[in-house]
Amino acid sequence: MSGYAVEVKNLTKRFGGLIAVNEVSMSVKPGEIFSVIGPNGAGKTTFFNLLTGINKPDSGNLLLDGRDVVGLAPEQVAARGVGRTFQNIRLFGAMTVLENVLVGRYVHIRTPYPSALARTPGCRREEKKAAERSLELLDYMGIASRAGELARNLSYGEQRRLEIARALALDPRLLLLDEPAAGMNPQETEELKKLIRALRTDMDLTVVLIEHDMSMVMSISDRIVVLQFGSVIAEGLPAEIRANTKVIEAYLGSGAAAGGGAASSDPATTESRAAAGNGATGEHHA
Amino acid sequence: MTGSLKKMKTETALIAVCAADLVAFAALKVSPGFFAGIIGILALVMTGYLPVKLQAKLGSLAVLTLVFTLGFASKASGDIFFIGLIGILVVLIRTDRAPVWTKVLIGAAILLASIPFAGFKDTFLFELAIQIGIFAAMAMGLNVVVGMAGLLDMGYTAFFAIGAYTWGIFGSPQAHSFMAGHFPLNGNLMFLFMGLAVLATALTGIIIGLPALRLRGDYLAIVTLGLGEVIRVLANNMDHPVNITNGPQGITPVSRPDIGWFRSALSAIGVPLDARTDYQLFFYFLVLLVIGIVIVVNINLGKSKFGRAWVAIREDEIAARSMGIPMIKTKLYAFATGAAFSGAMGVIFAAQRTFVSPETFTMLQSTTILGMVVLGGMGSIEGAILGAASLTILNIDLLKGFSEYLNELKQGGTVIFGYHLSSLPSQLDPAKYERLVFGLVIIFMMIFRPTGLLPERRRKAEEAEDDDDIPEITETGKGGQS
Ligand SMILES: Nc1ncnc2c1ncn2[C@@H]1O[C@H](COP(=O)(O)OP(=O)(O)OP(=O)(O)O)[C@@H](O)[C@H]1O
Ligand SMILES: [Mg+2]
Repeated sequence: MSGYAVEVKNLTKRFGGLIAVNEVSMSVKPGEIFSVIGPNGAGKTTFFNLLTGINKPDSGNLLLDGRDVVGLAPEQVAARGVGRTFQNIRLFGAMTVLENVLVGRYVHIRTPYPSALARTPGCRREEKKAAERSLELLDYMGIASRAGELARNLSYGEQRRLEIARALALDPRLLLLDEPAAGMNPQETEELKKLIRALRTDMDLTVVLIEHDMSMVMSISDRIVVLQFGSVIAEGLPAEIRANTKVIEAYLGSGAAAGGGAASSDPATTESRAAAGNGATGEHHA
Repeated sequence: MTGSLKKMKTETALIAVCAADLVAFAALKVSPGFFAGIIGILALVMTGYLPVKLQAKLGSLAVLTLVFTLGFASKASGDIFFIGLIGILVVLIRTDRAPVWTKVLIGAAILLASIPFAGFKDTFLFELAIQIGIFAAMAMGLNVVVGMAGLLDMGYTAFFAIGAYTWGIFGSPQAHSFMAGHFPLNGNLMFLFMGLAVLATALTGIIIGLPALRLRGDYLAIVTLGLGEVIRVLANNMDHPVNITNGPQGITPVSRPDIGWFRSALSAIGVPLDARTDYQLFFYFLVLLVIGIVIVVNINLGKSKFGRAWVAIREDEIAARSMGIPMIKTKLYAFATGAAFSGAMGVIFAAQRTFVSPETFTMLQSTTILGMVVLGGMGSIEGAILGAASLTILNIDLLKGFSEYLNELKQGGTVIFGYHLSSLPSQLDPAKYERLVFGLVIIFMMIFRPTGLLPERRRKAEEAEDDDDIPEITETGKGGQS
């Protein structure tokens, strides 16, 4: 009914005394590339964890494609077409690149358990179909030649690509990317940007992106929301965000204790990961 | 140049040892053929570890198969040759480059000819082979649970017990004591009961797994440990008020299937069976068949979405769930599958022994099976088999054999360094140190080879076929992992 891909109302998550996500409301339209930015520890990753069912919100509403997903398990959210990547890459290191993507095909492989036991012709057909689709995705991400390699032997950039390929294997309608450019060099980042744009049109996706690389965020996003201490401090078009004084303050750290020595430029050029806020280094996942 | 020279030397050395072995065997045939066995094992180790040409490797495996088989005909005790044959099978499995037909040929020669031959010479070796088979099948079942899915199940023998009692109660007069009917049931119904045991244990696995699998790691281990004990205690105490399990005395005799057809089939191909070996051979083949099925099922699962889901959950639960893998359901599948394997083996165990009693299903039994999986290499099918073979041989053959040997020496009044062996206290009987040796083996494994004897090799998807031509890459690429 709402027509939004993601609709969040007054979402709150506490960890003990800490309010990681505080009364957050926002909505993402289908087909948008929507960025969530904010200083370290602002609650961005936690927000993703709430969207994907890894953490349960303390209060608030969460609608994906107009349907309430609060209380669903991560696998149920995934089955509704939400693919994601992780800030601290979480691949299955002991499996090959191809197998990693095949894991992402899980919900689309229609093999009942007994036919998997006997490896019936039906099971083989399903496996073949899944493998073809997976190789297609690896090709799309430019790592098809690595299909037989163990995931843990890939370079950092390749691992990030593989994580995206694995998420795409779900045939998601919504793709959540948690700092996909982290650790990439400028050239890789440039390619990633093209790729995300291409994805949106080729696969009919809505993309929500957490990113510290401001030049990337500013050039790729349709709209941006800025979090600080778990609260939304600004929302709008890239140009609006660039000019927003609250945002500039947040990034320069004048509103908080830390970050005094940070660069004197505006967020558009500030180096990623300008330390601010409560100083936490949010690598936490449930 | 020097490389190929070295290679030639190693091949010559290998051939020399094989030849020496044949000679030694011929020469020592009357005296203990033990030395022939030792040299054979040495040659086998060389074959396994030296980088020799494929033909040389296969040739020496074939020769060794012959040597070990002939060994059974000598007066020496057959254990060492038996171990040698198992070793050949292991080397064979690990020789990736060997054409399938050679593997099948040598493997079949060992499993279908050499080992039965050994069994006819010494029925204990039949018993040993059957025990190894039963434990190997269970280790493979547990491998699904612990190795693939990463769920630490410490009470695996509970399902073995359920399987054994399922047939033990109805395949003997025992069922009379609590219900009317015609018991013992016809022995041929054992096959039906294998199916029933599979269902019963899978169901038990699900019922217990449903709450237990919500727990993580250590907690699951404790719960399953408890379960194992509960089943044993139940078996021990369910002889009153209604006598279901006959308590600590156990149940006997348990009927076995009718094997008239098997006898006549074998005598038709020129292998007459006597009352001492007929059932042994039958159960040996039955266990082989079941192991074959278990291996195929294991491989099939590993290649399916379920196998991948297990490994994914083991590797990273959050990531796996975020890919749409239902956690509890997936773990339940693993748990129930492992349980079912164990249950089926329990039925065979009961029928083969014709006896079921609670004391078989101890915690030590569970930890031993777990030890087999760990020793062989978690997640690896051939590892589970090797682990089962090693620990079974250690437990029921080597230590007991050593005890008997010591006893002989004692009774013979042997004196070593002025010490009368007959005054050796009975507490020092090696057979009593099963647990100690088992513990030491596991400790040394964890220190020197924590991934197990034959670590899991993650399949290299497409490349598998192409790899055959480039052995070096195959070796480093596949064997060197994890
Ligand atoms: N599972 C958890 N338990 C307790 N505290 C948590 C947990 N997850 C996150 N936090 C805390 O919540 C706050 C927000 O963390 P989050 O990871 O969402 O930040 P972030 O915006 O993603 O930061 P970064 O840019 O560093 O990734 C941090 O203070 C963090 O320490
Ligand atoms: Mg984060």
